[in-house]
Amino acid sequence: MSVAKSIVAALCRLMREDRLSFLGLAVLTLLVLIGLLGPWLPLGDPTRIAAGPRLAPPSWAFPFGTDELGRSYLPRVVEGIRATFLLSIVAVSITAVVGSFFGMLAGYFHGVTDHFVARGADILFAFPAIIVGLLVAAMIGPGQVSAVAVISIATIPLFIRVVRSVTLSVAGRGFVTASEVAGATPWRIMTVHILPNILGAVIVQLTYAMSIGMIIESTLSYLGLGVQPPQASLGSLLRQGSAYLTFAPWLVLSAGMVLSLAIMSVNLVGDAIRDAIEPLKGRALK
Amino acid sequence: MSALVEIRDLVVAYDGGGGATRGLDSAELYVASGETLAIVGESGSGKTTIGMSIGRLLPPEARIESGTITVDGVSVVDVDAEALRQLRRDRLGFVFQNPMTALDPTMRIDRQMIRAIGGKPSHDAIALLLRRAELDDPERVMRSFPHELSGGMAQRVIIAMAIARSPKLIIADEPTASLDASIREKVMDTLGRLREENGASMVILSHDLRLVSRHADRVAVMYGGRVVEIGQSATVLEQPAHPYTRALIAAAAGNEKPGERLEPILGAPPVLRGPCRKCAYEPRCGLARPECANSRPEARLVAARAVCCHFAEEVVEATSDAGEARTE
Amino acid sequence: MRLIGYLLPRIAIALVTTLGVSILVFLALRFIPGGYADILLGPFVTPEARAAIAQRYGLDQPIVFQFGRWLLSLLQGDFGVSMVTRKPVIDEFLRRAPVTLELATIALFVALALGVPLGIASGVAGRARGGYARVVGAIGASVPDVVLGSALIFVFSAWSLWFRVGGYVPLSEDPIENLRVMLLPGLTLSVFGVALILRTTRDAVMQVMTEGHITTAVARGERPRDIIRLHVLRNAAIPVVTVVTTYFGFLLSGAVVVEVLFSIPGIGLYTFNGLLNRDYAIVQAGVLIAALVFISINMLSDILYAAIDPRVGAGKRR
Repeated sequence: MSVAKSIVAALCRLMREDRLSFLGLAVLTLLVLIGLLGPWLPLGDPTRIAAGPRLAPPSWAFPFGTDELGRSYLPRVVEGIRATFLLSIVAVSITAVVGSFFGMLAGYFHGVTDHFVARGADILFAFPAIIVGLLVAAMIGPGQVSAVAVISIATIPLFIRVVRSVTLSVAGRGFVTASEVAGATPWRIMTVHILPNILGAVIVQLTYAMSIGMIIESTLSYLGLGVQPPQASLGSLLRQGSAYLTFAPWLVLSAGMVLSLAIMSVNLVGDAIRDAIEPLKGRALK
Repeated sequence: MSALVEIRDLVVAYDGGGGATRGLDSAELYVASGETLAIVGESGSGKTTIGMSIGRLLPPEARIESGTITVDGVSVVDVDAEALRQLRRDRLGFVFQNPMTALDPTMRIDRQMIRAIGGKPSHDAIALLLRRAELDDPERVMRSFPHELSGGMAQRVIIAMAIARSPKLIIADEPTASLDASIREKVMDTLGRLREENGASMVILSHDLRLVSRHADRVAVMYGGRVVEIGQSATVLEQPAHPYTRALIAAAAGNEKPGERLEPILGAPPVLRGPCRKCAYEPRCGLARPECANSRPEARLVAARAVCCHFAEEVVEATSDAGEARTE
Repeated sequence: MRLIGYLLPRIAIALVTTLGVSILVFLALRFIPGGYADILLGPFVTPEARAAIAQRYGLDQPIVFQFGRWLLSLLQGDFGVSMVTRKPVIDEFLRRAPVTLELATIALFVALALGVPLGIASGVAGRARGGYARVVGAIGASVPDVVLGSALIFVFSAWSLWFRVGGYVPLSEDPIENLRVMLLPGLTLSVFGVALILRTTRDAVMQVMTEGHITTAVARGERPRDIIRLHVLRNAAIPVVTVVTTYFGFLLSGAVVVEVLFSIPGIGLYTFNGLLNRDYAIVQAGVLIAALVFISINMLSDILYAAIDPRVGAGKRR
């Protein structure tokens, strides 16, 4: 596990040296903490109707303003952060398990298995995410389950492709051949030898899938195909606020800003991990 | 003989993960007009660094910390970009180790040759140049993409490019290492012949001692980022004065007698974090004494070559004894 | 010859993918609650009428037959009939396709016009990190179309500044007015593309700059400008082409949101409204068309790829 250690060391150095990476990690940590601790933070009750005037602009009492029912918007946004992160994490976990499994299978066994998995990935990849969202909503109705399904459908083919190509390169290395010769079972080779070596790529891909997931969740919920009111997600808050966009823009803008920040922080952390694992070399013409 | 290349006190550092390492540690070298000099050493000895620094073709993480490089009167270290470009274009020719990656994969050979020759050369001029590099079917080669050529053909194309503007100096970095053994000698002969026709000097970076002994007038042996022994090829290779040179020769395949074993060099070359204050070879040297760990040997003349070893005389004696013993 | 050997398997793969996509879409529609007959006739229907419908549409036959018939009708250009208007949906899709195409073209044009030059400049500069490219990339890849579109709508409905929000005007009627309407949604759609193409171009350029043949070009004293123009760009174009294709698929997806946001009557809005009206033939056709377009674009990218990289088909593909 010295590889993991050196990657963590590289990551730490990156965080110290690179302000943008550090900013990403700081914002992500902050948002996750807020999302986790939301209900216990003294932000006000997200469900209390007529806590203030309707559609009030931001003020000290209501930092993000109030919505059309006079609910304080800040705790609603915090609730939304939680729902958006949670949905994406659930969906991306499914993607990680399914995508890694099939990707490794395809990369390790070549031949017919590879063909089947690759064609399956091609087929899923051909469906644009939001359009799949329409179909899934038609099939099982709009809601959290269909949001999770759509995120997984959209990210699994990406995942399979990356894991497959990394597995291919790892499977060609000496230590894998050596344990094959020694008679290890494919299952053992995949879990013991290949998995630890592709973990870095999987983690990088996870963060990207996570940011794609958050974009899909918010878009679906905005279209009314994802999280349904009264439950708040950042996307459903956007939908709710969009009706009052011209005279109460703080609703859409605050939820939108937090959403964009969240996605950006995930992206920046993903970039940092990628940089730590495989530094991008540059060269200027002199 | 006037010096075409003169490198003095050159220190090159590589920025890397755990801080900077020294690729060259006060290296000194000169190349005379018209001569062929071979630089030998293990990977990591600094031979590629010194060779590429002649054209300032170092990778981006490399930094020239101090020292001077003078090539045909041009100070390479501080020259401006345009003058450096002209120096590379008109007076230097490079031949790289791997011809397959050294050619642009998306461009036909004729267009790449035009880039190398410059201006608007005629079709026949390109063909002639390729024929001089002993490519039998220049027409076909010109129409080809690099991936359609064999390694040997691609290297001949590279050689043709290197001599396209009649350079004063050809720098060949392991020119035959990636080729099949059967054609190495032929490609090397072509390179040698073209150098002679042009009256150019040549620096060969290689670890192939047999090739070196056949093609080089002088040999420089590098270790720990400096030249530890330099002199006429015959002198250095037949009667080494540095223990490292001796070990290299003993480890090389090709000049052992039947039944004689090759002796690997134990240990690994040093990784220098700063200037080396002792003999860099001391940890691996069979002859090392306390003095070697305390003071850095400077170059001095011993038995008709320059060598950096406190006990060079002993080494020369021992090798001549061994040589005599062998002939007996 | 080389191209045939390279393209034939790809065409086969595209056909397999198309078949797989059709099967999925076909099955998906069968699983929609209520079934075909319910949707056609509403909930208060006699079993006799139901059976009649089932017979008329072949719903009583084995599913493989049903699929075969459906596929056959697709090949004849019959994508189903709208429950609301009772007209073939394909007509409506064809009528609206130019609108979405215009939107996608604007987005693609902006993304390429900004992404490629900025990416090249940033890649040539060669800094491993830092620089505007990273900031633009991070922001562009992180702000969802919904958020950006909403922000633009807010700003431009408060201060018009030449642009128009809402009130679509067809291109054929008044090109200038049309542009005033289409530019904002097009820009919204392009931002992700700018970031994506910028990053890909930059990484590709940086990758090519470390390759041996660039060192060769430097060593033979070529001008930096010529090295970039002649050696770097062509080699770097290879990964960029692939990404642009994927982006086009994303454009179709993004078109739904942007068309809904800006009320642009393209195929995205049409499909979305089809869902709201439970007019599932439209949804089915929309999904199918999007996937087919994506597969076709992919084929196009494979051909482009072969045109750029002479190694393609020679068994030495990178």
